[in-house]
Amino acid sequence: MITDQLLSNDLAEADVAGRSLWMDARVRFMRNKAALFFAVVLFLIVLFTFLGPLIAVTDHETIDFSMIGQAAEKGQPSIANGHYFGYDDEGRDLYSRVIQGTWISILVGVIGASVAVVIGTLYGAIAGYFGGRVDSIMMRIVDILMAIPFMFVLILLLVVFERSFVMLFIGIGMLSWLGMARIVRGQTISIKNKEFIEAAVASGVGNFTIIIRHIVPNLLGVVTVYATLLVPEMILTESFISFVGLGVQAPDTSLGQLINVGAGTLQYGTKWQLMFPLGFFVVLIFSLFFVGDGLRDALDPKDR
Amino acid sequence: MIMFIIRRLAVAIPTLLILCIVTFYLMHAAPGGPFNSERPLPASVMANINAKYGLDQPLHTQLYTYLVGVVTEFDFGPSYKFKDRTVNDIIAQGFPVTLTYGFWSFIVATVLGISLGVVAALKHNSIIDYFAVGISIGAQVLPNFVMAPLLVWLFTLTLGWLPGGGWNGGQFPYLVMPIIALSTSYMASISRLMRSSMLEVLNSNFIRTARAKGLPSRKIIFGHALKPALLPVVSYLGPAFVGMITGSVVIDTFFSTGGIGQAFVNSAFSRDYAVMMGITILVGTLTITFNMIVDILYAWIDPKVRL
Repeated sequence: MITDQLLSNDLAEADVAGRSLWMDARVRFMRNKAALFFAVVLFLIVLFTFLGPLIAVTDHETIDFSMIGQAAEKGQPSIANGHYFGYDDEGRDLYSRVIQGTWISILVGVIGASVAVVIGTLYGAIAGYFGGRVDSIMMRIVDILMAIPFMFVLILLLVVFERSFVMLFIGIGMLSWLGMARIVRGQTISIKNKEFIEAAVASGVGNFTIIIRHIVPNLLGVVTVYATLLVPEMILTESFISFVGLGVQAPDTSLGQLINVGAGTLQYGTKWQLMFPLGFFVVLIFSLFFVGDGLRDALDPKDR
Repeated sequence: MIMFIIRRLAVAIPTLLILCIVTFYLMHAAPGGPFNSERPLPASVMANINAKYGLDQPLHTQLYTYLVGVVTEFDFGPSYKFKDRTVNDIIAQGFPVTLTYGFWSFIVATVLGISLGVVAALKHNSIIDYFAVGISIGAQVLPNFVMAPLLVWLFTLTLGWLPGGGWNGGQFPYLVMPIIALSTSYMASISRLMRSSMLEVLNSNFIRTARAKGLPSRKIIFGHALKPALLPVVSYLGPAFVGMITGSVVIDTFFSTGGIGQAFVNSAFSRDYAVMMGITILVGTLTITFNMIVDILYAWIDPKVRL
């Protein structure tokens, strides 16, 4: 009798505490110490890009003319004069520039990944949902696009249509939605034969409403995982483009550009000009990879 | 098998064609022609130049002439900036360089990556395993444009062992840093892939059977486990190869090796669209061909893939 009572209590409680995918994921993520640690690091980096400028002496554009050409002798990092990361070769405060560069890199990563997510999800969901000829044509197009060396086309685009933020995003977005579309399509195919879709069809819901209201929300887990893994890739792509000299335009900067400049002046003994941006870059990419990995472990239903 | 190759070709050729057409129109959509300089040329001179390069023809005629030239004579046209050189000359000069360090990087990344992955999987959860995983995670965040300055700082500026750049006919000391810079992150990815797929294979039933019937470890690993474990790695080789050709842009910029990457960047900054287009098409062809080879290789290794 008592056991029955307990059991029913248990059941009632289990009912109340029904665990959603997201709660489950949060618990798993919290248990993953490495991912959690790097999530904190990531948070700190983002926080730093907001709060860092408060203790900067000058902003990223201000040029100290007395420093030009003397960065190697007098521009060392110093706590005393407030230029914590030293000067760059043009007499600008490297601390402010690194903050600006980190911010731009994060921005590019997030926006680039979002572009890829939106296009890739819709494209993949449409292809997967309609199936048949639509699917095979749409996926053939993806196959064809995948075989194109986009980095070269991107550079071509940036040169032909002048460098601009918009062009950079279009290019980077173009590069990256293809993989997303493939993954989403696969998931959609496995979802679309479920009963709730059948119910929606039976009650006369339109195709696009089904895709947006019923299929896409069920894809969010997979999409989140790949989106977080896309962010560091976007940052890498942008840094690559910046390294070649086609990225963000001066006076704005990005980590890739700072690394390029720092690498160029290395021979004059201004090691800090490379090491600070490089450090931020490596830590940023590292944390993003680990957080993405942690999310994958937390959200991937295959591992349950 | 032959049908499969034909089918792949049937996709590859339209892809190339699309690439050609898109880059061609892109090039011509560019504001300003290749001969617009600071001082505008007299109209009659301009007309003559345009006539010489065929730029006065309608676009589709130009495209047609260009494509016919490319296909029948392998002629990518003249460079707009260097009057005495054709795009072919420029490619012929840069491409062997890129191919040399690209090829060696590819070999280094594949061989080291696979060995590292296999060893890590065989010694699962040992010091060696953690070491291998550590290396591959570390190397993941060191793409070529990060590796290159670090290598120069270490080997040229600090130790003074290697020349900081140049090509010099591809002598060994000049090859070392480009190869390390280019191969590191791919080696990392390959070793991670190899490790996880090898672990999966080693835990599968047919390996247990092989062990149960008393085969020596060497035979199990090389005869049974390696081939199926290679599958994910093989499918990664396509992207890796593309990455290495693309990485040429960084390697050439940084080490002044003079490969097609350098030619590409130079032509980008001097707006020599003909050269840019030629290189894009060349790289596209390489990419598509290589992906096709990888697919065929994949089908050959994996018995589940029906041709």
